[in-house]
Amino acid sequence: MAYLLHILIIAGIYIILTLSLNLIIGYTGLPALGHIAFACIGAYSSGILALNFGISPWIGLIVGACAASFFGFVIAFPSIRLKGDYLALATFGFGVIVYSISKNWIDLTRGPMGLPGIPKFSFFSYELQPVWAYLIFVLVFIVFTTFIINRVVDSPFGRVLRSIREDEVASLSIGKNVNRYKITVFVIGAFFAGIAGSLYAHYITFIDPSSFTVMESIAVLLMVVFGGMGSIKGSFVGALTLVILPEMLRFLGMPSSVAAPLRQMIYGGLLVLLMLKRPQGIIGDYRFR
Amino acid sequence: MVVGGIYSLVALSFAIIYKTIRFFHFAHGSVIVAGAYIAYSLSCFVGIPLLLSIVVSSLITTVLGIVIYKTTYSYLRVIGSSNLILAITSFGIFIFIQNLFQILYGAQILSLKTGPVSEGHLIMGGTITNVQISIIVISCLLLVLIRSVVVETRIGKAIRAVADDPLGASISGINPERIIIYSFGIGSALAGLSGGLISLESSIEPTMGLNLILKGIIASIIGGLGSIPGAVLGGFFLGIVENLGIWKIQAGWKDTISFAVLIAFLLFRPEGILGKRTDRENL
Repeated sequence: MAYLLHILIIAGIYIILTLSLNLIIGYTGLPALGHIAFACIGAYSSGILALNFGISPWIGLIVGACAASFFGFVIAFPSIRLKGDYLALATFGFGVIVYSISKNWIDLTRGPMGLPGIPKFSFFSYELQPVWAYLIFVLVFIVFTTFIINRVVDSPFGRVLRSIREDEVASLSIGKNVNRYKITVFVIGAFFAGIAGSLYAHYITFIDPSSFTVMESIAVLLMVVFGGMGSIKGSFVGALTLVILPEMLRFLGMPSSVAAPLRQMIYGGLLVLLMLKRPQGIIGDYRFR
Repeated sequence: MVVGGIYSLVALSFAIIYKTIRFFHFAHGSVIVAGAYIAYSLSCFVGIPLLLSIVVSSLITTVLGIVIYKTTYSYLRVIGSSNLILAITSFGIFIFIQNLFQILYGAQILSLKTGPVSEGHLIMGGTITNVQISIIVISCLLLVLIRSVVVETRIGKAIRAVADDPLGASISGINPERIIIYSFGIGSALAGLSGGLISLESSIEPTMGLNLILKGIIASIIGGLGSIPGAVLGGFFLGIVENLGIWKIQAGWKDTISFAVLIAFLLFRPEGILGKRTDRENL
Protein backbone atom coordinates (compact mmCIF):
# COMPACT_ATOMS: atom_id res chain seq x y z
CA MET A 1 0.00 0.00 0.00
CA ALA A 2 2.74 2.40 0.96
CA TYR A 3 4.44 1.52 -2.30
CA LEU A 4 1.31 2.39 -4.26
CA LEU A 5 1.00 5.71 -2.46
CA HIS A 6 4.66 6.39 -3.13
CA ILE A 7 4.12 5.84 -6.87
CA LEU A 8 1.12 8.17 -6.75
CA ILE A 9 3.16 10.90 -5.06
CA ILE A 10 5.89 10.61 -7.69
CA ALA A 11 3.22 10.68 -10.40
CA GLY A 12 1.73 13.76 -8.74
CA ILE A 13 5.05 15.56 -8.82
CA TYR A 14 5.39 14.64 -12.48
CA ILE A 15 1.89 15.99 -13.11
CA ILE A 16 3.01 19.40 -11.84
CA LEU A 17 6.10 19.23 -14.05
CA THR A 18 4.07 18.13 -17.06
CA LEU A 19 1.48 20.85 -16.58
CA SER A 20 4.14 23.51 -16.40
CA LEU A 21 5.96 22.21 -19.46
CA ASN A 22 2.65 21.95 -21.30
CA LEU A 23 2.15 25.65 -20.77
CA ILE A 24 5.45 26.35 -22.50
CA ILE A 25 5.48 23.75 -25.22
CA GLY A 26 1.83 22.87 -25.71
CA TYR A 27 0.09 26.20 -25.36
CA THR A 28 2.79 28.54 -26.61
CA GLY A 29 4.59 26.17 -28.96
CA LEU A 30 8.08 26.83 -27.61
CA PRO A 31 10.22 23.70 -27.68
CA ALA A 32 11.94 23.64 -24.29
CA LEU A 33 14.08 20.59 -23.69
CA GLY A 34 15.67 21.55 -20.39
CA HIS A 35 12.65 21.62 -18.15
CA ILE A 36 14.03 19.37 -15.44
CA ALA A 37 16.77 21.96 -14.87
CA PHE A 38 14.17 24.22 -13.23
CA ALA A 39 13.10 21.39 -10.94
CA CYS A 40 16.78 20.85 -10.16
CA ILE A 41 17.20 24.50 -9.19
CA GLY A 42 14.07 24.37 -7.05
CA ALA A 43 15.12 21.17 -5.32
CA TYR A 44 18.65 22.28 -4.63
CA SER A 45 17.80 25.76 -3.44
CA SER A 46 15.22 24.60 -0.94
CA GLY A 47 17.36 21.62 0.08
CA ILE A 48 20.44 23.75 0.69
CA LEU A 49 18.47 26.40 2.55
CA ALA A 50 16.97 23.79 4.86
CA LEU A 51 20.23 21.95 5.48
CA ASN A 52 22.74 24.78 5.78
CA PHE A 53 20.61 27.53 7.22
CA GLY A 54 17.85 25.59 8.94
CA ILE A 55 15.20 27.48 7.04
CA SER A 56 11.73 25.95 7.07
CA PRO A 57 10.74 23.96 3.95
CA TRP A 58 7.83 26.34 3.43
CA ILE A 59 10.09 29.30 2.82
CA GLY A 60 12.44 27.00 0.92
CA LEU A 61 9.62 26.03 -1.39
CA ILE A 62 8.86 29.64 -2.23
CA VAL A 63 12.51 30.59 -2.57
CA GLY A 64 13.12 27.52 -4.75
CA ALA A 65 10.23 28.36 -7.04
CA CYS A 66 11.35 31.97 -7.29
CA ALA A 67 14.93 30.93 -8.00
CA ALA A 68 13.70 28.61 -10.72
CA SER A 69 11.61 31.33 -12.32
CA PHE A 70 14.53 33.73 -12.08
CA PHE A 71 16.61 31.24 -14.05
CA GLY A 72 13.67 30.79 -16.40
CA PHE A 73 14.01 34.48 -17.12
CA VAL A 74 17.78 34.23 -17.45
CA ILE A 75 17.58 31.49 -20.06
CA ALA A 76 14.50 32.86 -21.84
CA PHE A 77 15.62 36.45 -22.16
CA PRO A 78 18.53 35.89 -24.53
CA SER A 79 17.44 32.72 -26.28
CA ILE A 80 13.81 33.53 -27.01
CA ARG A 81 14.61 35.03 -30.40
CA LEU A 82 15.99 31.71 -31.63
CA LYS A 83 13.53 29.73 -33.67
CA GLY A 84 12.30 26.16 -33.49
CA ASP A 85 14.98 23.58 -33.06
CA TYR A 86 17.64 26.16 -32.22
CA LEU A 87 15.66 27.16 -29.17
CA ALA A 88 15.33 23.47 -28.38
CA LEU A 89 19.09 23.11 -28.56
CA ALA A 90 19.74 26.19 -26.42
CA THR A 91 17.36 25.02 -23.69
CA PHE A 92 18.86 21.57 -23.93
CA GLY A 93 22.25 23.17 -23.39
CA PHE A 94 20.88 24.99 -20.37
CA GLY A 95 19.69 21.64 -19.00
CA VAL A 96 23.13 20.13 -19.41
CA ILE A 97 24.82 23.14 -17.82
CA VAL A 98 22.58 23.07 -14.74
CA TYR A 99 23.10 19.32 -14.40
CA SER A 100 26.85 19.65 -14.58
CA ILE A 101 26.87 22.54 -12.11
CA SER A 102 24.92 20.43 -9.63
CA LYS A 103 27.44 17.67 -10.18
CA ASN A 104 30.63 19.70 -10.08
CA TRP A 105 30.11 22.54 -7.66
CA ILE A 106 31.08 20.29 -4.77
CA ASP A 107 31.24 23.06 -2.14
CA LEU A 108 27.60 23.93 -2.61
CA THR A 109 25.87 20.77 -3.78
CA ARG A 110 28.23 18.04 -2.59
CA GLY A 111 28.32 16.87 -6.20
CA PRO A 112 27.50 13.22 -6.94
CA MET A 113 27.28 12.44 -3.20
CA GLY A 114 24.03 14.35 -3.07
CA LEU A 115 22.33 16.09 -0.18
CA PRO A 116 21.01 13.62 2.40
CA GLY A 117 18.71 14.35 5.33
CA ILE A 118 16.56 17.13 3.93
CA PRO A 119 13.76 17.75 6.46
CA LYS A 120 10.15 17.02 5.60
CA PHE A 121 7.36 19.55 5.59
CA SER A 122 5.58 20.13 8.85
CA PHE A 123 2.32 21.78 9.86
CA PHE A 124 3.04 23.66 13.08
CA SER A 125 4.43 20.77 15.09
CA TYR A 126 2.99 17.91 13.05
CA GLU A 127 5.55 16.52 10.63
CA LEU A 128 4.24 15.09 7.36
CA GLN A 129 5.78 11.71 8.04
CA PRO A 130 3.15 9.22 6.80
CA VAL A 131 3.01 8.69 3.07
CA TRP A 132 -0.74 9.32 2.78
CA ALA A 133 -0.37 12.70 4.43
CA TYR A 134 2.22 13.70 1.89
CA LEU A 135 0.02 12.46 -0.91
CA ILE A 136 -2.75 14.81 0.23
CA PHE A 137 -0.18 17.56 0.49
CA VAL A 138 0.98 16.96 -3.09
CA LEU A 139 -2.65 16.82 -4.22
CA VAL A 140 -3.19 20.29 -2.82
CA PHE A 141 -0.33 21.54 -4.94
CA ILE A 142 -1.66 19.76 -8.02
CA VAL A 143 -5.01 21.46 -7.55
CA PHE A 144 -3.26 24.78 -7.05
CA THR A 145 -1.14 24.32 -10.20
CA THR A 146 -4.07 23.16 -12.30
CA PHE A 147 -6.13 26.10 -11.11
CA ILE A 148 -3.45 28.67 -11.94
CA ILE A 149 -2.54 27.13 -15.31
CA ASN A 150 -6.20 26.83 -16.20
CA ARG A 151 -6.71 30.49 -15.34
CA VAL A 152 -3.65 31.45 -17.37
CA VAL A 153 -4.69 29.62 -20.52
CA ASP A 154 -8.32 30.68 -20.31
CA SER A 155 -7.53 34.35 -19.95
CA PRO A 156 -6.91 36.83 -22.77
CA PHE A 157 -3.26 36.24 -21.99
CA GLY A 158 -3.72 32.54 -22.84
CA ARG A 159 -5.42 33.40 -26.10
CA VAL A 160 -2.39 35.43 -27.09
CA LEU A 161 -0.20 32.44 -26.23
CA ARG A 162 -2.20 30.22 -28.55
CA SER A 163 -2.07 32.81 -31.27
CA ILE A 164 1.71 32.86 -30.95
CA ARG A 165 1.70 29.10 -31.33
CA GLU A 166 -0.45 29.21 -34.42
CA ASP A 167 1.10 32.17 -36.17
CA GLU A 168 3.77 34.29 -34.62
CA VAL A 169 3.85 36.91 -37.35
CA ALA A 170 0.10 37.42 -37.16
CA SER A 171 0.26 38.01 -33.42
CA LEU A 172 3.07 40.48 -33.97
CA SER A 173 1.00 42.28 -36.53
CA ILE A 174 -1.88 42.87 -34.14
CA GLY A 175 0.54 44.59 -31.82
CA LYS A 176 1.37 41.89 -29.31
CA ASN A 177 4.84 41.96 -27.86
CA VAL A 178 5.53 38.33 -28.66
CA ASN A 179 8.89 38.11 -26.93
CA ARG A 180 7.49 39.46 -23.71
CA TYR A 181 4.74 36.87 -23.70
CA LYS A 182 7.21 34.10 -24.38
CA ILE A 183 9.49 35.18 -21.55
CA THR A 184 6.53 35.41 -19.15
CA VAL A 185 5.49 31.89 -20.07
CA PHE A 186 8.97 30.62 -19.38
CA VAL A 187 8.98 32.32 -16.01
CA ILE A 188 5.59 30.84 -15.02
CA GLY A 189 6.54 27.37 -16.24
CA ALA A 190 9.84 27.50 -14.38
CA PHE A 191 8.06 28.62 -11.22
CA PHE A 192 5.89 25.50 -11.10
CA ALA A 193 8.78 23.26 -12.09
CA GLY A 194 10.65 24.74 -9.14
CA ILE A 195 7.74 23.87 -6.84
CA ALA A 196 7.79 20.30 -8.19
CA GLY A 197 11.52 20.05 -7.57
CA SER A 198 11.18 21.33 -4.04
CA LEU A 199 8.31 18.93 -3.28
CA TYR A 200 10.48 16.11 -4.57
CA ALA A 201 13.45 17.13 -2.42
CA HIS A 202 11.40 17.31 0.78
CA TYR A 203 9.62 14.06 0.03
CA ILE A 204 12.59 11.83 -0.85
CA THR A 205 14.75 13.79 1.67
CA PHE A 206 17.76 13.07 -0.51
CA ILE A 207 18.70 14.67 -3.80
CA ASP A 208 21.60 14.05 -6.12
CA PRO A 209 22.33 15.17 -9.68
CA SER A 210 21.30 11.84 -11.18
CA SER A 211 17.62 12.70 -10.64
CA PHE A 212 17.95 15.69 -12.94
CA THR A 213 19.60 14.35 -16.09
CA VAL A 214 18.70 15.35 -19.60
CA MET A 215 16.81 12.09 -20.00
CA GLU A 216 14.38 13.24 -17.31
CA SER A 217 13.62 16.35 -19.36
CA ILE A 218 12.87 14.10 -22.29
CA ALA A 219 10.64 11.93 -20.11
CA VAL A 220 8.61 14.98 -19.08
CA LEU A 221 8.43 16.07 -22.71
CA LEU A 222 7.14 12.61 -23.58
CA MET A 223 4.45 12.93 -20.91
CA VAL A 224 3.29 16.19 -22.46
CA VAL A 225 3.29 14.77 -25.97
CA PHE A 226 1.69 11.51 -24.89
CA GLY A 227 -1.20 13.11 -23.07
CA GLY A 228 -1.72 15.84 -25.59
CA MET A 229 -0.18 19.17 -26.33
CA GLY A 230 -2.17 22.05 -25.01
CA SER A 231 -4.50 19.94 -22.89
CA ILE A 232 -4.61 19.98 -19.11
CA LYS A 233 -6.41 16.65 -18.91
CA GLY A 234 -3.80 15.29 -21.25
CA SER A 235 -1.03 16.22 -18.85
CA PHE A 236 -2.72 14.20 -16.12
CA VAL A 237 -3.15 11.21 -18.40
CA GLY A 238 0.40 11.46 -19.72
CA ALA A 239 2.11 11.75 -16.35
CA LEU A 240 0.01 9.06 -14.65
CA THR A 241 0.37 6.55 -17.47
CA LEU A 242 4.07 7.03 -18.00
CA VAL A 243 4.94 6.87 -14.32
CA ILE A 244 2.73 3.89 -13.47
CA LEU A 245 3.24 1.84 -16.63
CA PRO A 246 7.02 1.33 -16.25
CA GLU A 247 6.47 0.32 -12.63
CA MET A 248 4.65 -2.74 -13.96
CA LEU A 249 7.95 -3.92 -15.39
CA ARG A 250 9.16 -4.34 -11.86
CA PHE A 251 6.68 -7.14 -11.32
CA LEU A 252 7.87 -9.08 -14.33
CA GLY A 253 10.88 -10.06 -12.27
CA MET A 254 13.54 -8.61 -14.51
CA PRO A 255 16.97 -7.71 -13.15
CA SER A 256 17.36 -3.99 -12.78
CA SER A 257 20.22 -3.91 -15.29
CA VAL A 258 17.69 -4.90 -17.93
CA ALA A 259 14.60 -3.17 -16.55
CA ALA A 260 16.05 0.35 -16.48
CA PRO A 261 17.22 0.41 -20.10
CA LEU A 262 14.03 -1.37 -21.13
CA ARG A 263 12.00 1.41 -19.55
CA GLN A 264 14.00 3.96 -21.53
CA MET A 265 13.61 1.85 -24.65
CA ILE A 266 9.85 1.86 -24.23
CA TYR A 267 9.94 5.63 -23.79
CA GLY A 268 11.97 6.03 -26.96
CA GLY A 269 9.85 3.70 -29.02
CA LEU A 270 6.66 5.28 -27.72
CA LEU A 271 7.90 8.75 -28.62
CA VAL A 272 8.62 7.65 -32.20
CA LEU A 273 5.27 5.88 -32.53
CA LEU A 274 3.37 8.88 -31.20
CA MET A 275 5.12 11.25 -33.55
CA LEU A 276 4.38 8.98 -36.48
CA LYS A 277 0.79 8.07 -35.72
CA ARG A 278 -0.74 10.53 -33.29
CA PRO A 279 1.22 13.76 -32.84
CA GLN A 280 -1.71 15.33 -31.00
CA GLY A 281 -1.39 12.83 -28.14
CA ILE A 282 -3.99 10.61 -26.54
CA ILE A 283 -6.64 13.21 -25.79
CA GLY A 284 -5.15 16.40 -27.16
CA ASP A 285 -7.00 18.33 -29.81
CA TYR A 286 -4.19 20.50 -31.04
CA ARG A 287 -2.36 18.83 -33.87
CA PHE A 288 1.27 19.61 -33.34
CA ARG A 289 3.13 19.97 -36.60
CA MET B 1 43.88 17.58 -30.98
CA VAL B 2 42.82 13.95 -30.81
CA VAL B 3 39.50 14.85 -29.24
CA GLY B 4 39.20 17.52 -31.90
CA GLY B 5 39.84 14.90 -34.58
CA ILE B 6 37.01 12.72 -33.29
CA TYR B 7 34.67 15.69 -32.90
CA SER B 8 35.43 16.80 -36.45
CA LEU B 9 34.69 13.35 -37.82
CA VAL B 10 31.37 13.26 -35.98
CA ALA B 11 30.59 16.82 -37.02
CA LEU B 12 31.53 16.02 -40.61
CA SER B 13 29.23 13.02 -40.77
CA PHE B 14 26.46 15.02 -39.12
CA ALA B 15 26.95 17.98 -41.47
CA ILE B 16 26.60 15.85 -44.59
CA ILE B 17 23.23 14.61 -43.44
CA TYR B 18 22.14 17.99 -42.13
CA LYS B 19 23.00 19.56 -45.49
CA THR B 20 20.17 17.78 -47.23
CA ILE B 21 17.53 17.26 -44.55
CA ARG B 22 17.92 20.39 -42.42
CA PHE B 23 16.93 19.03 -39.04
CA PHE B 24 18.83 17.73 -36.04
CA HIS B 25 19.36 14.04 -36.59
CA PHE B 26 20.00 13.06 -32.96
CA ALA B 27 19.76 9.36 -33.78
CA HIS B 28 23.10 9.83 -35.48
CA GLY B 29 24.66 9.49 -32.03
CA SER B 30 23.31 5.98 -31.71
CA VAL B 31 24.57 5.15 -35.19
CA ILE B 32 28.05 6.05 -33.95
CA VAL B 33 27.56 3.87 -30.87
CA ALA B 34 26.42 1.05 -33.14
CA GLY B 35 29.58 1.50 -35.21
CA ALA B 36 31.77 1.30 -32.14
CA TYR B 37 30.05 -1.78 -30.73
CA ILE B 38 29.91 -3.65 -34.01
CA ALA B 39 33.60 -3.00 -34.60
CA TYR B 40 34.29 -4.15 -31.07
CA SER B 41 32.33 -7.38 -31.33
CA LEU B 42 33.66 -8.21 -34.79
CA SER B 43 37.25 -7.96 -33.69
CA CYS B 44 36.84 -9.46 -30.22
CA PHE B 45 34.27 -12.20 -30.72
CA VAL B 46 34.57 -13.07 -34.40
CA GLY B 47 38.28 -12.41 -34.63
CA ILE B 48 38.43 -10.35 -37.81
CA PRO B 49 41.47 -8.07 -38.10
CA LEU B 50 40.90 -4.70 -36.55
CA LEU B 51 40.94 -2.46 -39.61
CA LEU B 52 38.72 -4.80 -41.58
CA SER B 53 36.20 -4.93 -38.74
CA ILE B 54 36.02 -1.14 -38.66
CA VAL B 55 35.33 -1.10 -42.40
CA VAL B 56 32.67 -3.80 -42.07
CA SER B 57 31.03 -1.99 -39.18
CA SER B 58 30.88 1.22 -41.17
CA LEU B 59 29.12 -0.71 -43.95
CA ILE B 60 26.60 -1.99 -41.42
CA THR B 61 25.98 1.49 -40.02
CA THR B 62 25.43 2.75 -43.57
CA VAL B 63 22.53 0.34 -43.81
CA LEU B 64 21.34 1.32 -40.33
CA GLY B 65 21.31 5.02 -41.24
CA ILE B 66 19.32 4.39 -44.39
CA VAL B 67 16.88 2.14 -42.53
CA ILE B 68 16.30 4.88 -39.96
CA TYR B 69 15.56 7.33 -42.73
CA LYS B 70 13.31 5.01 -44.67
CA THR B 71 11.22 3.82 -41.73
CA THR B 72 10.50 7.13 -40.04
CA TYR B 73 11.76 10.38 -41.49
CA SER B 74 10.68 9.58 -45.00
CA TYR B 75 7.08 9.10 -43.87
CA LEU B 76 7.13 12.18 -41.66
CA ARG B 77 8.44 14.32 -44.49
CA VAL B 78 5.65 13.13 -46.74
CA ILE B 79 2.97 14.18 -44.27
CA GLY B 80 4.74 17.50 -43.87
CA SER B 81 5.90 17.48 -40.26
CA SER B 82 7.99 20.33 -38.91
CA ASN B 83 11.68 20.09 -38.11
CA LEU B 84 10.79 19.96 -34.46
CA ILE B 85 8.69 16.81 -34.84
CA LEU B 86 11.48 15.24 -36.85
CA ALA B 87 14.04 16.15 -34.18
CA ILE B 88 11.86 14.74 -31.39
CA THR B 89 11.29 11.54 -33.35
CA SER B 90 14.98 11.33 -33.91
CA PHE B 91 15.55 11.64 -30.19
CA GLY B 92 13.12 8.78 -29.64
CA ILE B 93 15.04 6.59 -32.06
CA PHE B 94 18.24 7.59 -30.33
CA ILE B 95 16.96 6.55 -26.89
CA PHE B 96 15.62 3.31 -28.31
CA ILE B 97 18.86 2.20 -29.98
CA GLN B 98 21.08 3.35 -27.14
CA ASN B 99 19.16 1.30 -24.61
CA LEU B 100 19.05 -1.66 -26.94
CA PHE B 101 22.83 -1.67 -26.85
CA GLN B 102 22.77 -1.23 -23.12
CA ILE B 103 20.66 -4.37 -22.77
CA LEU B 104 22.77 -6.33 -25.24
CA TYR B 105 26.19 -5.39 -23.94
CA GLY B 106 25.54 -4.18 -20.40
CA ALA B 107 26.27 -0.70 -19.14
CA GLN B 108 29.91 -1.33 -18.34
CA ILE B 109 32.76 0.25 -20.22
CA LEU B 110 34.46 -1.86 -22.86
CA SER B 111 37.84 -1.19 -24.34
CA LEU B 112 39.67 -2.26 -27.47
CA LYS B 113 43.09 -1.12 -26.41
CA THR B 114 45.90 -2.19 -28.71
CA GLY B 115 49.41 -2.25 -27.35
CA PRO B 116 50.70 -0.59 -24.21
CA VAL B 117 49.78 3.04 -23.66
CA SER B 118 53.35 4.11 -22.96
CA GLU B 119 54.35 3.42 -26.55
CA GLY B 120 54.27 6.75 -28.35
CA HIS B 121 56.20 9.66 -29.71
CA LEU B 122 57.18 12.84 -27.98
CA ILE B 123 56.01 15.89 -29.85
CA MET B 124 56.27 19.36 -28.38
CA GLY B 125 56.49 18.05 -24.85
CA GLY B 126 53.43 15.84 -25.07
CA THR B 127 53.16 12.13 -25.75
CA ILE B 128 51.11 11.03 -28.70
CA THR B 129 50.41 7.42 -29.56
CA ASN B 130 50.28 5.85 -33.00
CA VAL B 131 46.53 5.42 -32.73
CA GLN B 132 46.09 9.09 -31.96
CA ILE B 133 48.26 10.09 -34.91
CA SER B 134 46.25 7.85 -37.18
CA ILE B 135 42.98 9.37 -35.92
CA ILE B 136 44.18 12.84 -36.82
CA VAL B 137 45.55 11.68 -40.16
CA ILE B 138 42.39 9.73 -41.00
CA SER B 139 40.11 12.62 -40.17
CA CYS B 140 42.17 14.98 -42.33
CA LEU B 141 42.21 12.46 -45.18
CA LEU B 142 38.45 11.94 -44.92
CA LEU B 143 37.91 15.66 -44.95
CA VAL B 144 39.80 15.95 -48.24
CA LEU B 145 38.03 12.91 -49.65
CA ILE B 146 34.54 14.05 -48.67
CA ARG B 147 35.26 17.53 -49.88
CA SER B 148 36.31 16.25 -53.29
CA VAL B 149 33.26 13.98 -53.42
CA VAL B 150 30.96 16.87 -52.64
CA VAL B 151 32.67 19.35 -54.92
CA GLU B 152 33.57 17.22 -57.92
CA THR B 153 31.35 14.19 -58.39
CA ARG B 154 27.83 14.12 -59.78
CA ILE B 155 26.41 12.88 -56.51
CA GLY B 156 28.11 15.69 -54.68
CA LYS B 157 26.67 18.18 -57.11
CA ALA B 158 23.23 16.71 -56.64
CA ILE B 159 23.64 16.83 -52.85
CA ARG B 160 24.46 20.50 -53.02
CA ALA B 161 21.56 21.11 -55.37
CA VAL B 162 19.12 19.43 -53.00
CA ALA B 163 20.63 21.34 -50.09
CA ASP B 164 20.06 24.65 -51.87
CA ASP B 165 16.64 24.02 -53.25
CA PRO B 166 14.91 20.62 -53.23
CA LEU B 167 12.15 21.75 -55.56
CA GLY B 168 14.54 23.24 -58.09
CA ALA B 169 16.65 20.11 -57.95
CA SER B 170 13.71 17.86 -58.63
CA ILE B 171 12.71 20.02 -61.61
CA SER B 172 16.12 19.51 -63.15
CA GLY B 173 15.78 15.76 -62.94
CA ILE B 174 17.33 14.97 -59.58
CA ASN B 175 15.36 12.73 -57.27
CA PRO B 176 15.68 14.40 -53.84
CA GLU B 177 14.66 11.23 -52.02
CA ARG B 178 17.54 9.34 -53.59
CA ILE B 179 20.02 12.07 -52.84
CA ILE B 180 18.90 12.22 -49.23
CA ILE B 181 19.41 8.47 -48.99
CA TYR B 182 22.90 8.88 -50.45
CA SER B 183 23.73 11.54 -47.92
CA PHE B 184 22.39 9.36 -45.11
CA GLY B 185 24.53 6.52 -46.44
CA ILE B 186 27.72 8.59 -46.60
CA GLY B 187 27.07 10.24 -43.25
CA SER B 188 26.30 6.97 -41.49
CA ALA B 189 29.34 5.26 -43.01
CA LEU B 190 31.47 8.05 -41.59
CA ALA B 191 29.67 7.68 -38.27
CA GLY B 192 30.52 3.99 -38.22
CA LEU B 193 34.14 4.81 -38.97
CA SER B 194 34.37 7.34 -36.21
CA GLY B 195 32.72 4.86 -33.86
CA GLY B 196 35.38 2.32 -34.74
CA LEU B 197 38.15 4.84 -34.20
CA ILE B 198 36.73 5.80 -30.83
CA SER B 199 36.77 2.18 -29.76
CA LEU B 200 40.48 2.13 -30.66
CA GLU B 201 41.41 5.33 -28.90
CA SER B 202 39.33 5.23 -25.76
CA SER B 203 36.83 3.00 -24.04
CA ILE B 204 33.26 2.66 -25.27
CA GLU B 205 29.98 2.62 -23.37
CA PRO B 206 26.38 2.71 -24.58
CA THR B 207 25.68 6.16 -23.17
CA MET B 208 28.53 7.88 -24.99
CA GLY B 209 26.33 8.53 -28.04
CA LEU B 210 24.51 11.52 -26.61
CA ASN B 211 27.70 13.28 -25.69
CA LEU B 212 29.21 12.59 -29.10
CA ILE B 213 26.27 13.73 -31.16
CA LEU B 214 25.83 16.85 -29.05
CA LYS B 215 29.47 17.71 -29.51
CA GLY B 216 29.09 17.00 -33.21
CA ILE B 217 26.09 19.32 -33.45
CA ILE B 218 27.84 22.01 -31.42
CA ALA B 219 30.93 21.71 -33.60
CA SER B 220 28.96 22.04 -36.79
CA ILE B 221 27.02 25.03 -35.45
CA ILE B 222 30.28 26.69 -34.42
CA GLY B 223 31.76 26.03 -37.84
CA GLY B 224 28.66 27.00 -39.74
CA LEU B 225 25.77 24.59 -40.24
CA GLY B 226 25.88 22.57 -43.41
CA SER B 227 29.38 23.71 -44.24
CA ILE B 228 31.75 20.78 -44.52
CA PRO B 229 35.08 22.53 -43.86
CA GLY B 230 33.21 24.42 -41.15
CA ALA B 231 32.28 21.20 -39.40
CA VAL B 232 35.88 20.06 -39.29
CA LEU B 233 37.14 23.44 -38.15
CA GLY B 234 34.42 23.57 -35.49
CA GLY B 235 35.36 20.10 -34.30
CA PHE B 236 39.00 21.01 -33.76
CA PHE B 237 38.03 24.35 -32.26
CA LEU B 238 35.68 22.69 -29.78
CA GLY B 239 38.22 20.01 -28.90
CA ILE B 240 40.89 22.62 -28.20
CA VAL B 241 38.63 24.98 -26.24
CA GLU B 242 37.34 22.11 -24.12
CA ASN B 243 40.79 20.85 -23.28
CA LEU B 244 42.16 24.30 -22.60
CA GLY B 245 39.17 24.78 -20.32
CA ILE B 246 39.65 21.61 -18.31
CA TRP B 247 43.35 22.30 -18.10
CA LYS B 248 42.53 25.63 -16.45
CA ILE B 249 39.53 24.52 -14.38
CA GLN B 250 38.50 20.90 -13.79
CA ALA B 251 37.64 17.91 -15.92
CA GLY B 252 34.02 17.82 -14.76
CA TRP B 253 33.25 21.18 -16.32
CA LYS B 254 33.91 19.97 -19.87
CA ASP B 255 30.27 19.84 -20.95
CA THR B 256 29.50 23.16 -19.30
CA ILE B 257 32.26 24.76 -21.34
CA SER B 258 31.11 23.34 -24.64
CA PHE B 259 27.47 24.26 -24.06
CA ALA B 260 28.45 27.73 -22.95
CA VAL B 261 30.38 28.04 -26.21
CA LEU B 262 27.30 26.83 -28.08
CA ILE B 263 24.95 29.30 -26.42
CA ALA B 264 27.43 32.12 -27.00
CA PHE B 265 27.60 31.21 -30.68
CA LEU B 266 23.82 30.86 -31.01
CA LEU B 267 23.37 34.30 -29.52
CA PHE B 268 26.14 36.27 -31.16
CA ARG B 269 27.09 34.49 -34.33
CA PRO B 270 24.40 31.92 -35.17
CA GLU B 271 25.75 31.47 -38.67
CA GLY B 272 29.03 30.08 -37.31
CA ILE B 273 32.63 30.86 -38.13
CA LEU B 274 32.47 30.04 -41.82
CA GLY B 275 28.80 30.75 -42.42
CA LYS B 276 27.62 33.71 -44.39
CA ARG B 277 25.66 36.43 -42.69
CA THR B 278 22.76 35.89 -45.08
CA ASP B 279 22.26 32.41 -43.65
CA ARG B 280 20.80 34.04 -40.58
CA GLU B 281 17.46 34.33 -42.30
CA ASN B 282 16.99 30.59 -42.07
CA LEU B 283 17.68 30.27 -38.38
